[in-house]
Amino acid sequence: MPALATDNQIEAVSKVLNDTSRPLKERFRALFTLRNLGGPKAVEGISSCFTDSSALLKHELAYCLGQMQDPSAIPVLTSVLKDVQQEPMVRHEAGEALGAIGSADSLPVLQEHCQDKVVEVAETCQLAVQRINWLLDEKKKCEIDSAYQQNPYCSVDPTPSTSIKETEELKTILLDESLPLFERYRAMFALRNKGDVESVKALAEGLKCNSALFRHEIAYVLGQVQSPACIQQLIQRLELADENEMVRHECAEALGSIAQDECREILQKYAEDSARVVKESCEVALDMCEYENSPEFQYANGLTNLD
Amino acid sequence: MAELEDTQFESGDSGASATFPMQCSALRKNGFVMLKSRPCKIVEMSTSKTGKHGHAKVHMVGIDIFNGKKLEDICPSTHNMDVPVVKREDFTLIDISGDGYLSMMNDNGDLREDLKVPDGDLGNQIRTDFENGRELLCTVLKACGEECVIAVKANTAAEK
Repeated sequence: MPALATDNQIEAVSKVLNDTSRPLKERFRALFTLRNLGGPKAVEGISSCFTDSSALLKHELAYCLGQMQDPSAIPVLTSVLKDVQQEPMVRHEAGEALGAIGSADSLPVLQEHCQDKVVEVAETCQLAVQRINWLLDEKKKCEIDSAYQQNPYCSVDPTPSTSIKETEELKTILLDESLPLFERYRAMFALRNKGDVESVKALAEGLKCNSALFRHEIAYVLGQVQSPACIQQLIQRLELADENEMVRHECAEALGSIAQDECREILQKYAEDSARVVKESCEVALDMCEYENSPEFQYANGLTNLD
Repeated sequence: MAELEDTQFESGDSGASATFPMQCSALRKNGFVMLKSRPCKIVEMSTSKTGKHGHAKVHMVGIDIFNGKKLEDICPSTHNMDVPVVKREDFTLIDISGDGYLSMMNDNGDLREDLKVPDGDLGNQIRTDFENGRELLCTVLKACGEECVIAVKANTAAEK
């Protein structure tokens, strides 16, 4: 198969990503272009941006490196996870990305951070360790592979979905604070795969659960499903000024993905939020919203926009 | 219409609705879909790359199964599209009336005289071949309350 883009083109897109004078929404589109292209040059271009001042952008870099599942990104992700100067959401995403890549070599550093002082980072690493242990177990690896087949979205999830199908049963597992996060995540992804109104409403109840990491993941999957049935619940979370920024950020982006008029209105309002990560999320979310409502074919249009 | 040969058709009469929903990502080239409220056969499909939530958009080009016009649309891959229930049946041509109606019979011997000779080349071909005494089989396509002859072939078995 011929290469999708030349090294020069990838470098040009990397330049857009790394250019702090460009609007954030454009840098995001450049980032997803690199994610889709893949290869060592793209990984290099993404990795060079971890010195940026935007936590939102940096967390998205880590997310993309994880989704690419390219083992050459392991060193940079490991150093970001260990770097306590990086914001919690960036370190969380680096941990999750190491889990997504799924190399046994990442187990020691992930285990080390299972007791991290930042609870979101600790919980993320616990999930990532479990995911990698599943991948190392032949039988359980099959379960991950078949769960992946059930996922209608192109995403590598932190846990496989469970094979349980009943919405009520899934909801009970999802909301049971006494169960391990791993089990509750498995129910979450099964509900997401179902995607009907009842499942979406069950998921939205998870926005009130104790773990901030859990709430942020709920918001993420609601953004995947794009159901208008959870708009109000997402708006309520975004509007809570004392809610964890990572959760507010994910609610904003989910609203951008659902892309209805009422989503746009609330995003415009919070695009002036005092929390930088919320403000920037709204900016990016408004761009997603515009894309969803437009006849524009590619969101990741970094290649077509090169001069 | 050779390009319809590779397509699956509904058999029997469906009393149910004229369309049914199907997830966009499950649609395939050569299948049917409603584009701009018209029943179409899909001739081209491409899927975009994904963004943060892993969504893709699907670009579809279709040909209106009745008038041959090209239509296109872009839809998120996880959304439902309407798929028309398309029924196809072959009829033996018996006669062509003075006011341009076809008199046709199906395998069960049921006669129908409610469809007109189609416009354009196909209609001309039917008239010419019929006047030359050929045994003709007309293919009738039915979808969304619309029905017309979309192909004709000589019934060589009957001619021998």
